Amino acid sequence: MTFNIVVCIKQVPDTADIKWTEHNTMQREGLDSIINPYDNGAIHIAKAIKKFITDVKIIAVSMGPLQAKDSLKEAIALGCDEAYLLSDKKFSGSDTLATANTLSKFIEAKVPDFDLIICGQQAIDGDTAQTPSSLAQKLNIPQATNITEIVDANDIYIELIKETSIYKQRLQLSYPALIACKVNSTNFLPSIADYIKSQKSEIEILDAEAINISSEQTGLKGSPTQVKNAYRPIIERSNEVLENLSANECADFILDKIKKCKV
Amino acid sequence: MSNKALIYIELDNNKAAKVSKEIISHALHNFRGFNVDGIVLGDKESINAALDDLRELNVQNLFIVQNELLNTKNTSLYAQILADFIFDNRPEILLIGATEDGRDIAPRLASKLNIGLTADCTDLQIDDAANLIATRPTYGGKLMASIASKTTPNFATVRSGAFKYSASLCKCTPNITYITPDITEFIDNPKIISIDYKQVSEDWTCSDVIVAGGLGLTTKENFDLIYKLAELLKAKPAASRAAVEQGWAPQDIQVGQTGNSVSPKLYIAFGISGAMQHTAGITNSDKIIAVNTDKDAPIMHSADFAIECDAVDVINSLIQKLSN
Repeated sequence: MTFNIVVCIKQVPDTADIKWTEHNTMQREGLDSIINPYDNGAIHIAKAIKKFITDVKIIAVSMGPLQAKDSLKEAIALGCDEAYLLSDKKFSGSDTLATANTLSKFIEAKVPDFDLIICGQQAIDGDTAQTPSSLAQKLNIPQATNITEIVDANDIYIELIKETSIYKQRLQLSYPALIACKVNSTNFLPSIADYIKSQKSEIEILDAEAINISSEQTGLKGSPTQVKNAYRPIIERSNEVLENLSANECADFILDKIKKCKV
Repeated sequence: MSNKALIYIELDNNKAAKVSKEIISHALHNFRGFNVDGIVLGDKESINAALDDLRELNVQNLFIVQNELLNTKNTSLYAQILADFIFDNRPEILLIGATEDGRDIAPRLASKLNIGLTADCTDLQIDDAANLIATRPTYGGKLMASIASKTTPNFATVRSGAFKYSASLCKCTPNITYITPDITEFIDNPKIISIDYKQVSEDWTCSDVIVAGGLGLTTKENFDLIYKLAELLKAKPAASRAAVEQGWAPQDIQVGQTGNSVSPKLYIAFGISGAMQHTAGITNSDKIIAVNTDKDAPIMHSADFAIECDAVDVINSLIQKLSN
């Protein structure tokens, strides 16, 4: 029997590259979009499961505007077998709860026989890390987050290492289940065969109707949280610049400041 | 009747976690018209070990949920128990520290209660209608967003170091209520095979001086000089995310949006370019010195003193002076 893995992917702006307009809104023109690096890691983990289980199918899903198709093509190039894009004006403005609702409806409609859902621990734009746990609850399945490594996998369970700053756990998770992986990387590159496959692949686009979600459960309407105000942080510091000093002089300057703060 | 703010108190090595205490301090000082209550979950051994510390907290009511199954940090179980409690207790505000476990439990809980949740906040205020306005950095700290929620309880996770912990306002001790959770239907999945607690180093995030290194140090050998310098200065070492990703430093000394927020008297950044990802974690420092060869590096604009010089040379010079 095929072991079905769903990998959730978010297309994010390359935050290293954000520029702002005078009005503190993001300058979207010319902004590069990438697969969230943690989701790239999630694909890598999904592929690693193929070492333990023979018949594995990896289904990538993303929610976003039509341009997110590019990220899904890239997901296929990275080794996913098929990909769906959830795209509908009704989805826009979704917070994490509405996103979890939407993803859960997709899974129920299109991959009801899934075994494992793999998410990146968080997305580098929002940094909330909320969607994975929220989605697991919506599907009423167990979850394990902060996963750093797969130890073993078979038909019944997957054995994982979870690591937080306080403890390290070894755990067995029976299917169906969700894991969120802390593997953050943009370094995994596609094989040539997968790249060629991705160029020929079709990304299926699904709207609200296709996944049976009502407009009360998704988008702005389905989102309990609302942004009241957004602003760029102002950092008020004296910003004294010291140039053309030798390393020796710099060291003296620093030691002087340390002395002052230790008094 | 007063409104209630409920704070989930995470246990960290048999003590109330620092972030939980910080949230309680902030709530007590800023949430006018609110009672501040706490809830803690654990097995008998860890609760007993933490009890003295928990009694020091200035919450009005302290709810202790004790069960032997809570010894393995099974976060789904924690979320289940909290959901049951909140359903009965009905607080207006619910706050959890944005630790890794907190950020695992909170969204599961929010999803279960079908309520909104704001992640990893750095400020919390109450508006005129007694609603929580939670502010958080987004886009790697480049933008701050203030967020309100239409659902009750207003729910947020709070970043460690966002607030300063101040010792008790009064000598009052909390009313303690023990709760026996109903977990008959609990399924042991995930099954925890083993759990190793890490040697927790003393809290370093608010020490006097922090010396931090970044990619500009170019090699692991050079990064090791940060440790040596920290030792000589009796300061604490820290690293940027990029340095951690290079494997030069462990994650628990990572500073920034996805690491620790720090609040030292003096933060010295050596060879850190200072993406907002990083500077978001150092804004509570009293003074910041940045040492970088690139005077246009972002950190050079957000420091009190921007020293344009080779970071490794300066570190070596400091080590030499301090060793004499």
